[in-house]
Amino acid sequence: MLARSCLRSTRILNGARNGATALTKRPISSYSSGASSESPMKLNMTAAASTALAIGSVAWYYHLYGSTAQAMTPAEEGLHPTKYPWVHEHWLKTFDHQALRRGFQVYREVCAACHSLSRIPYRSLVGTILTVDEAKAMAEENEYDSEPNDEGEIEQRPGKLSDYLPSPYKNDEAARAANQGALPPDLSLIVKGRHGGCDYIFSLLTGYPEEPPAGAQVGAGLNFNPYFPGTGIAMARVLYNDLVEYEDETPATTSQMAKDVVEFLNWAAEPEMDDRKRMGMKVLAVTTVLFALSVWVKRYKWASVKSRKIAYDPPKASNRVRD
Amino acid sequence: MAPLTIASRALARGVARPTCSLNAARALSTSAQLQDAGYSSPFKGESKTTKIPDFSHYFNKGGSANTNLLFSYFMVGTMGAITAAGAKSTVQEFLKNMSASADVLAMAKVEVDLQAIPEGKNVIIKWRGKPVFIRHRTQEEIDRANKVNVASLRDPQADEDRVQKPEWLVMLGVCTHLGCVPIGEAGDYGGWFCPCHGSHYDISGRIMKGPAPLNLEIPAYDFPEEDKLIIG
Amino acid sequence: MASPLYNALFRRNFQMLGVVFVSAFAFEMTYDVGMNKVWDNINKGRQWKDIRQKYAEAEE
Repeated sequence: MLARSCLRSTRILNGARNGATALTKRPISSYSSGASSESPMKLNMTAAASTALAIGSVAWYYHLYGSTAQAMTPAEEGLHPTKYPWVHEHWLKTFDHQALRRGFQVYREVCAACHSLSRIPYRSLVGTILTVDEAKAMAEENEYDSEPNDEGEIEQRPGKLSDYLPSPYKNDEAARAANQGALPPDLSLIVKGRHGGCDYIFSLLTGYPEEPPAGAQVGAGLNFNPYFPGTGIAMARVLYNDLVEYEDETPATTSQMAKDVVEFLNWAAEPEMDDRKRMGMKVLAVTTVLFALSVWVKRYKWASVKSRKIAYDPPKASNRVRD
Repeated sequence: MAPLTIASRALARGVARPTCSLNAARALSTSAQLQDAGYSSPFKGESKTTKIPDFSHYFNKGGSANTNLLFSYFMVGTMGAITAAGAKSTVQEFLKNMSASADVLAMAKVEVDLQAIPEGKNVIIKWRGKPVFIRHRTQEEIDRANKVNVASLRDPQADEDRVQKPEWLVMLGVCTHLGCVPIGEAGDYGGWFCPCHGSHYDISGRIMKGPAPLNLEIPAYDFPEEDKLIIG
Repeated sequence: MASPLYNALFRRNFQMLGVVFVSAFAFEMTYDVGMNKVWDNINKGRQWKDIRQKYAEAEE
C-alpha cells in the first residue's frame, strides 16, 4: 500500500516535472521571434531598481539612525578650548608649588568672593602651599560653630587647622539670591567636573571679548563668553592685569593669574596627584624589570621542554621471537 | 563527494607506502643526524612543522656549567626578591587604607590655651566626643591631694602619678561607674561628685566614696610649650 | 665544581629563600630612596620642600 502510494507520488512528480518543462519551453518559443533584446533590458531594469532600493533603504536608515545626534547647536555647545601645554599634566611632573601659592592667593583675593572651596581643609594647605603658622593664622581669621555648650547654645570659635575653607554664602539659595539667580559653583572639583578641565577654565577666564560680536544674543544680566556652553555666562570678566600683587613679584598679568589659579584648582581637585605620579613611576619601573625577568625565567623553564625529542624505537625481530 | 575523498585517500596511501619503512628507520637516528638534508616528508606540501627542528641554539655557548647555574639562580632569585618587595608594598598600601583617615586624625588632637584658665577653675572641653576636665589647682589643693593616705584608697594611686605638672589636673570626665559626667567642685571631698549614683571623687579625681570602682581616667596629653596643652 | 658564591647563596633551598627575602628588604629600601631622588631631580624647584625655606625663614 505504502509502496504503491510512493510509486504513485513519484509518477505524479514526474508528470509535474514534464509539465514544467513543457511550460518553460512554451514562453521561450513564443518570445523567440523578436524579444531576445528585451530580456536583458528587463534584467537591467530589475537590477537597477533593486540597487536603487538597496541604496535608498540604507540611506533612509542612515538618515534615521546613522548620524550623531546633536542635542545642541555649536553655540550651545560652546567653543572648544585650546590645548595648552600644562607642565603639571606631564607624566612625571608635580604641581609647581610656587604657582599653587600664587593661585591660592588669586583664589582668596578674587574668586572667594563668590565661589566656595568647601572640600579643602586648612590642614591640607599645610605642607603644599602654606607653612603651619600661616595656615593657623589664616584659619583663625574665620569663625566656626563650636560644639553646644552647657546651655545648648552654639557659640562661635576661631577656626582651627581641621576646619574647612569658609564658604562665601550660607547655602545655595543665599548664593542664588545674591547673584541674580545664578549659582556660583563650588570650585573644589571644578577641574574634574568640566569637559576640557584646565584648558576650559583657562580659556573661560581669559576668553571674554571686549564686547560681544555683532549678532550675538546676550541675555539680560549675562556676559558673552564663547567658551561657555550657550555663550551667555552670569560671571563677568574678573581677571584684569595687576588685579593682585604677587608676593614673589611675578607680573600679575591676566593670563598669569588665570594660569596660576587653574593650577591651584587642579590641585584642589587632585591633591594626591604628586604622590600618585611618584608611585606610578616606581610601579612602572619595577614592573618593567619584573616583566623582562619573567620572560627570561619562562624561557629558562621551558628550554628543557622545548628541546625535548621523542623517538620511536620499533621492536627488533629478535625481541619479537622472545615474546 | 565520497568517491572523490576515497580516491584521494587511496592515492595518498599509495604514495606514502613505499617510503614508510625507511621513514621509521630515520626517526630512530634523528638525534644523531639533526641537519640531515636528505630527510623528506612523505606528505605533499612539506612544511616547516614536519621537519625535525634544529636545537643547537639551545646549547650552552662557552662558559662553564657552574656560571650558568649561578646565573640562572641569580635571575630566578632576583625575580623572587622584586616580586616579594612589590607584594609587600601592595599589601602595605591596602592596610594603610584601613587606618584612620586624615580628617579623623586632624580632629583627634585638641589644643588648649592654658592662659585662659585662672587658678582654682575647672574647664570642660570636648575631645573625641567625651568631656575632658582641666583643673588649674591651687597650692592648697595640691597639698590636700598629697596628704591623702594612698594605702587607704579603693584604687590606690599617688597624686604625682596622676599629673604631669601638679597645678594642672587633666582627666576624662566620665564616671568609672556607669559613665555619667560628674559635677565639679562638689561632693564630700571637694572634688567631683557624680549625681547619678553618688560617687565622690577627691581633688585628684580619685574615688573616695560611692559605687565607682576606679579613679577618673587620665588621657594622653602633653605640654609642648609653656601655657599650651595638647590632648591626644 | 661549586664556586664560593654559589655555596654562599644558593646551596640549599632555605638558604636561597633567606637570601631572596633579605635582598627583597634591602632592595625595597634602596629602590625607594633612589627613586625618590630621581623624582626630586625631575621636579627640581617645583615641590613645596624646595620653596618652603623662603616662607619658613621669613616668619622666624
